[in-house]
Amino acid sequence: MRRVGFESSFAIAEAVKMASIDVTSAYPITPQTHIVERIAQLIADGELDAEYIPVESEHSAMSGCLGASAVGARTFTATAGQGLELMHEVLYVASSMRLPIVMSVCNRALSSPLSIWGDHSDVMAVRDTGWIQIFAENAQQAFDLTICAFRVAEDPAVLLPTMVHIDGFHLSHVIEPVLLPEVEEVNKFLPKFHPRYTLNPSSPSTMGDFATPDLYTEAKKSQDEALRNSMKVILQAWRGFGELFGRDYLPVEMYRADDADVLLLTMGSFSEVAMEAIDELREAGEKVGLVRLRLWRPFPFHEFRRAVTQAKLLIVLDRAISFGGPGPVCSEVKAALYHLKKRPQIIGFIGGLGGRDISVEGFRNMIHRGMGKAEQGKFEEFEIFGVRE
Amino acid sequence: MQVSKLTEIRWHGRGGQGAVTSAELIALAAIEEGKFAQAFPSFGPERRGAPVLVFNRISESEHIRVRSAVTQPDIVVVLDPGLLGIIDVTSGLKDGGTLIVNSSKKLADIKLELGGPWRLAVVNATAIALELLKVPIVNTTMLGALVKSTDTIKLDSLLEPIKERFGKLAQRNIEACKRAYEEVSIAELIPASERIERAYVKESWPSWRELAPGSVVTEPGNARSYRTGDWRAQCPVFNHDRCIKCGICSLFCPEDCVNQNEDGYFEADLYHCKGCGICARECWTQAITMVEEIEE
Ligand code: SF4
Ligand code: SF4
Repeated sequence: MRRVGFESSFAIAEAVKMASIDVTSAYPITPQTHIVERIAQLIADGELDAEYIPVESEHSAMSGCLGASAVGARTFTATAGQGLELMHEVLYVASSMRLPIVMSVCNRALSSPLSIWGDHSDVMAVRDTGWIQIFAENAQQAFDLTICAFRVAEDPAVLLPTMVHIDGFHLSHVIEPVLLPEVEEVNKFLPKFHPRYTLNPSSPSTMGDFATPDLYTEAKKSQDEALRNSMKVILQAWRGFGELFGRDYLPVEMYRADDADVLLLTMGSFSEVAMEAIDELREAGEKVGLVRLRLWRPFPFHEFRRAVTQAKLLIVLDRAISFGGPGPVCSEVKAALYHLKKRPQIIGFIGGLGGRDISVEGFRNMIHRGMGKAEQGKFEEFEIFGVRE
Repeated sequence: MQVSKLTEIRWHGRGGQGAVTSAELIALAAIEEGKFAQAFPSFGPERRGAPVLVFNRISESEHIRVRSAVTQPDIVVVLDPGLLGIIDVTSGLKDGGTLIVNSSKKLADIKLELGGPWRLAVVNATAIALELLKVPIVNTTMLGALVKSTDTIKLDSLLEPIKERFGKLAQRNIEACKRAYEEVSIAELIPASERIERAYVKESWPSWRELAPGSVVTEPGNARSYRTGDWRAQCPVFNHDRCIKCGICSLFCPEDCVNQNEDGYFEADLYHCKGCGICARECWTQAITMVEEIEE
């Protein structure tokens, strides 16, 4: 094991190297550029024996990944923001064809106005594409969860593409200490990729075929079942990772939440900032805690319900806006709790858009403001936190 | 509330035979008469020669809200006699309904095959179309048979829509329509008569549990088992006396179904031949002629 200073981008490139991918097909875009540049460097230096397919757009990047994964290559790519949007239609094809591509998404706001900075607009726009979606909160997690992503995606019972989300700049460009295991240890955890169906002239098959109305519904049902059932494998993989490397991951993770009356829900790198705020409030005697949604798809209904139903108030932070509708995470959370007799009241905030920072003090204020709104019965769809009036 | 009478029609034809036009003209004529009507095909890729379904709904006085396929028609019209052996054209046909068939056979013979508690009408529309239109396209001809054997619309209401649709060719189409109106033979309805049951190949579809991941097809080339020969309205006949064994027919066949036999002559595999006629057109020596499929 080595302890190094890495930004999340390099940590991911290191994970990709240790996973010994066969192919990457990628197009650079801020703030993801460091990942693919680093991978290109590793390949050029002979440290990673993989094919790098340089393409002219993200649409082609994902299309290249489709082909590579379909012939049985371990395939990785990375993108962000507009790039993810340009991939959009191909994302559906990847999941529908059950191709276990792993992709890092350096979460970035969507134009216009053009913004290269982080938020979750890109994530929410691809919510329904059928990919497993996991959030990392720091560089170590970016490394760990990328390794885990290959194991989950390629499991014969799963065969689904997987996104590991890291916040653009806040993670992609921040250097912090990372523990790197030896490649032999990684090999113990991550078996070789042996897909059952591949495009192979010696045993031909057809992938991504056409379906009439007689078949399409069944195809979609089988795909949805696969995504829901991937939960078992995700839990297993994370447990196995914890046993080997001592770092545990869960679909819903709690922080000082055991007896909390008020819970804040966050995703991604803001979670660690919010922990600081929770610590300060706890010291002041307030019964507040944090819920972090690590797994976004498949949505961990069971774990989520168990985590929040004891609280009186749940404050949800969305880092994306669904124009004219509710906050995307907040609306899912409400739907997950709707039929329960015992459930917390819910206050929704939208914040951290287009790289707008939220500080520790900001999170303290958000929690207090949420509590105040709940007391006054102001349960409107959401409030945009910190917007200048 | 007065319940409006709704008449539902199902057309059986082949891609390219104009069944869609038939249904559209009926709908336009009904609308002309002040009624409410729909015409629509069973949506999907259009393939010349493949069996197609087209639907009409006609209501005397109310907007029609149902948009699903017609599965229990009052009237069934069969444009292509070759379909009778492969498709259950009377499926769901209501008791007391009407079945109208294009066939060169006699009414009594068709009755033995397709009898049931419905009125049966038979007309040799292909012969009429070939004589008057010089092509075996029977859509306008069959309209005449439909108007005569049911009370859906009046013959006169069809004239404007046909003129609009066919322009210069309208007059001949109207003649064909009128001829069928006169020539169609109609058997009276015998309400209690038995449905004649026949066995048809039914398509079956898998449950979602049976699909391979990603719906991957692991049996390559399974299109081979698809009997596209059913789409054929005309059949290529090879005259060996004229054949010089050049193989041009085989090269041009879009279905790749012309092969050389032991004696070196070329022959079409009729399981797959769609009857497009390209081989006949390309043959140097006119060794191939396209002949009408014989009704079984
Ligand atoms: S008609 Fe001739 S060219 Fe056309 S499919 Fe049949 S054999 Fe082939
Ligand atoms: S194109 Fe005509 S002459 Fe040539 S092989 Fe075919 S049938 Fe015979």
